[in-house]
Amino acid sequence: MRSRAVLAARSSLVLLLVGGSGVAQEAHDWLDRMSRSVEELNYRGTFVHILGGTARQLYIVHRNVDGQSGERILSMSGTGREIVRQGDLVQSILPDQRVVLFETRKGVSPLVSALPSGGAELELHYEITLGGRARVADRATQVLEIKPLDEFRYGYKLWLDRETAMPLQSQLVDGQGGVVEQIMFTEIEVPADIPPGDLEPTIETTGFTALRAAELPALAAEISWQANDVPGGFRLSIATQSPMAGSEAPVDHLVYSDGLATVSVFIESARTQSDVREGFSNVGSTNAYTIVLRGRKVTAMGEVPPQTVRTIATSLVAK
Amino acid sequence: MTEQISDQISAFIDNELPDDESALLVRRFERDSEARARAMRYTLIGSALRGELLEPHPSVLRRRVAAALLGTTPGVARGKQRQSLRFGGPLLRVGIAAAVAVVAIGTLRSFREEVPETAGTPPVDAQFLARDVPELPSYVVPETTDQAPAGVPITLTTYLMHHSEYASQLARTSARSNVVGAATEVVDPDPVPVVSKPLPVEQPPIAGRPAEQQ
Repeated sequence: MRSRAVLAARSSLVLLLVGGSGVAQEAHDWLDRMSRSVEELNYRGTFVHILGGTARQLYIVHRNVDGQSGERILSMSGTGREIVRQGDLVQSILPDQRVVLFETRKGVSPLVSALPSGGAELELHYEITLGGRARVADRATQVLEIKPLDEFRYGYKLWLDRETAMPLQSQLVDGQGGVVEQIMFTEIEVPADIPPGDLEPTIETTGFTALRAAELPALAAEISWQANDVPGGFRLSIATQSPMAGSEAPVDHLVYSDGLATVSVFIESARTQSDVREGFSNVGSTNAYTIVLRGRKVTAMGEVPPQTVRTIATSLVAK
Repeated sequence: MTEQISDQISAFIDNELPDDESALLVRRFERDSEARARAMRYTLIGSALRGELLEPHPSVLRRRVAAALLGTTPGVARGKQRQSLRFGGPLLRVGIAAAVAVVAIGTLRSFREEVPETAGTPPVDAQFLARDVPELPSYVVPETTDQAPAGVPITLTTYLMHHSEYASQLARTSARSNVVGAATEVVDPDPVPVVSKPLPVEQPPIAGRPAEQQ
């Protein structure tokens, strides 16, 4: 219930900050409703994740009981990977590598951090407009367009369920309107309850290697690094030190956000040169840039254009 | 649902199924809700792949279905073309002919009647089709092993999972979908010699102590 209260308070703040016409207000209201629905509703369904002409079908189940949410995402083709989050425990099952990552998320409040942080500020960097109506997965939807106003961030085109505000379809679009990524539900169900058993992993992991992070909470920290050149609108929102599976020591984690786009910067010890591959990489629509600074491996990543992660990573300096 | 039926549905959507098999399949749609639902999913995927989204052309599909029932399905592309499509990957295969939106399969019962078309609004029966899915989703089509993507390095996977915790809901879904479904691609490796010698590690500037628990 506490989470709902926080959400309601932030929603009110968003409404106060948003000025402009009734249409703009309505667009922001839809965005706000969407943020709450994705976190608060129970749902399960199949969606298609399309990247560069390659499509994969994924299954998702999301369960929320008294503000405590859990989620399971399964790739139904390709790698067959599965992510399960139940309470504080997160399992990433990677059958293609015969590895299971076990991590604990204590002291992290993604509900609060994930909400758009203020309509008026968002409009400095995005144009948010209401579109028409369409049908997705046989449900009536409201189209919402979020266009970036510079080259440092992507925008979205969203098809929101008119009843629940769930994003039944979303396109991640670049500044020229090109579709970077598309996610579309082909089936979705929003039941009142979802049994806890639906969050149980489905992949047999006998013989897999288990990598466990130390069961310590992520802690707010006074990180000794900062980015000196971040694109307009991005601000440091979170600094933590997190134990991570596969890392011997807690990893510094800085989060920069403009309210919609988020860039994470991870800083950890680079033990050997073979440990590091500098330069760009990407995991689907997530771009990353890695560089070694003062013996530390620095990786910036986010669902933003490549130049944004490079700009932030290369501007990192010790305080 | 057998693999054979799945292949037939895929071929039907691609306009590659012979006349006699098309007619049988269309009749099957009338009684097999699972087959109808599968056809619906394939078509949606194909439409999304080609960016057509949700603006199907019911009249086109009505003609397809009518032609199938009357045994006058347009000539089936065979030989090399068909083979190349099959090798093009299952989802690409699904997408080739998806302009014939299967939402209009719902109009089977009245395909001989001209139904007024409303832009962006599928026939009423289509709503029945989408809800009439009797089981949890199954694999669309298993991917061949030789096309499996390269594994994501575990460090990057771990980073991405932590990143997703703080991302907006939209970006979080993208990030987690990337973890389970996408491959890592090194765009500009900016090569570093692979030599396992220690780097000159400096003391990190004042390793900050945790100030407070969030």
